[in-house]
Amino acid sequence: MLEVRGLEVTFPGATTPAVRGIDLRLDRAKMVVVGANGSGKTTLIRSILGLIRPTAGAISLDGRDVRTIQGDPGLSTNLAEVYRLMSLPVRDLVRLYALLKGGDPAEMEGRLREFELDPVLGKRLHELSTGQQKLVGDLFAVCFQPRLVLLDEPFDNVDFARRRRLVRLLQELSADVLLNTHELELLGSFSGWRLGLMFEGRLLGPFSVAELDRLYLTRGVAPEALAVLETSLGTFSVTRDAGDRPVKSATSLNALVESLA
Amino acid sequence: MNLTRWYAKAMLTNGSLWFWAVAFMAMWLGIGAFLESQGVGSARSAAVAYTTSWYAVVVLIALSLLAAVIAGSYAYGSSALAYAFRYSRLTPAGYLGSLVGGSALLGLVLNVVLLGATAGMFGLRFATTLVPVDPVALLGVSLVGGAFFMALSSTLTLLAINHLGLRSADFVGYVPLVLSFVLGNAQVYVALPRWFLYGSPFNDLTSLLYQGYSGNTPTVQLGTATVPLGWVPLLLGILVWTGSLVGCTLVLLRRIRSRHLEERRQI
Repeated sequence: MLEVRGLEVTFPGATTPAVRGIDLRLDRAKMVVVGANGSGKTTLIRSILGLIRPTAGAISLDGRDVRTIQGDPGLSTNLAEVYRLMSLPVRDLVRLYALLKGGDPAEMEGRLREFELDPVLGKRLHELSTGQQKLVGDLFAVCFQPRLVLLDEPFDNVDFARRRRLVRLLQELSADVLLNTHELELLGSFSGWRLGLMFEGRLLGPFSVAELDRLYLTRGVAPEALAVLETSLGTFSVTRDAGDRPVKSATSLNALVESLA
Repeated sequence: MNLTRWYAKAMLTNGSLWFWAVAFMAMWLGIGAFLESQGVGSARSAAVAYTTSWYAVVVLIALSLLAAVIAGSYAYGSSALAYAFRYSRLTPAGYLGSLVGGSALLGLVLNVVLLGATAGMFGLRFATTLVPVDPVALLGVSLVGGAFFMALSSTLTLLAINHLGLRSADFVGYVPLVLSFVLGNAQVYVALPRWFLYGSPFNDLTSLLYQGYSGNTPTVQLGTATVPLGWVPLLLGILVWTGSLVGCTLVLLRRIRSRHLEERRQI
């Protein structure tokens, strides 16, 4: 179980926090977090991974503070930077990380074949295209029996056919998943998942992706507000069944807020 | 968890390392053998002393190039290490043990190649057989040398990564190379005091390599007397340095900070 309480991260030299006041609980669930570039989605994931020191708040995994966790292979991610332990061909990296995670390399090799990525096995990560690197990271994240998978923009630069395969794979995955994306139009693929909306470092929700059609954004503090969002452009409320603009109609969360400001 | 074979493979298949630490250094051996040797006397003892001095300094610098490679890999993999220590079965001690093993092995390989190049080129130049007197000792010294340079490079780079940032880590990576060049050559051209020759790990290595190759005990001038440098305190010196630096590396590895690779860009 992942639990985030009051998370705040301010980078050195910055005047405003990259993320603030984030509360999140994920227990036998899958959640997609939608937000524009720069809204703080990756900072949230890197904080959970222990790659960033939070300014305030606490993050725990199965009741243990992530800052004290050592040797727990149950959490995985698709962030490419964590697979740069050595400069080796992908085939060797697969075997290395299978060893580190206590898994079977054949599982990952099978997934690579399934995604028609066998040709990358003999290449090093820097020799792959951006989309191939992203997919290799995605497959590292879902292989070797993880309990919690953190996916940062897993569909970036991935072609349509493989996106569909990846969505199916994520749906079938038995692990908890926290998935970041800036693409609102992808939400239809995750109807059974929880939904978080991220804007200017604040996380709203959780809602349900299934109720996306019923969510609206309204200027000011609405009496029936499901959540209230304080932004540099003013205060907005997320409401159900009625409001100023339907969330689903937006091309991005930023555009939606700006259209109401 | 032992990753020695993975490290050895990653380093042994690193073409740049082979070029700079082997081909480039072999070129310097060639310069030493065929261009710089004009003033060397015809006596065999002079040829042996000259050859061994070149060999010891070149091996020292080759090992420091290995250190530069290791420094670069830390800067590149800080996030991977921070992640692996939390969310995989890799421990800082296991990782360090693998790195010590891989570096020692690579130190051995570099030394064997440079040993062959030295014996071949200088033997050709002086028209005599100049094989090392104690090759086993030389191989042992190269194992320790590889481990020492790994530990030195790791300590300096991790200090920079954890406390200063990747920009500083880039510069710190050159410190072993600069020290090797300065102190290795200083031993040949300057009368360094005995305490310094025993206390400096670079000179411990140079002296041990000299002794292993030539069979002659390196000496130091004390007033009017020439005093030999004992191999036991020299070996103890390098072992104490290596052990201390491995300990420092372990402490720093446990606290490694993830740094964004882009932070490394200088300009």
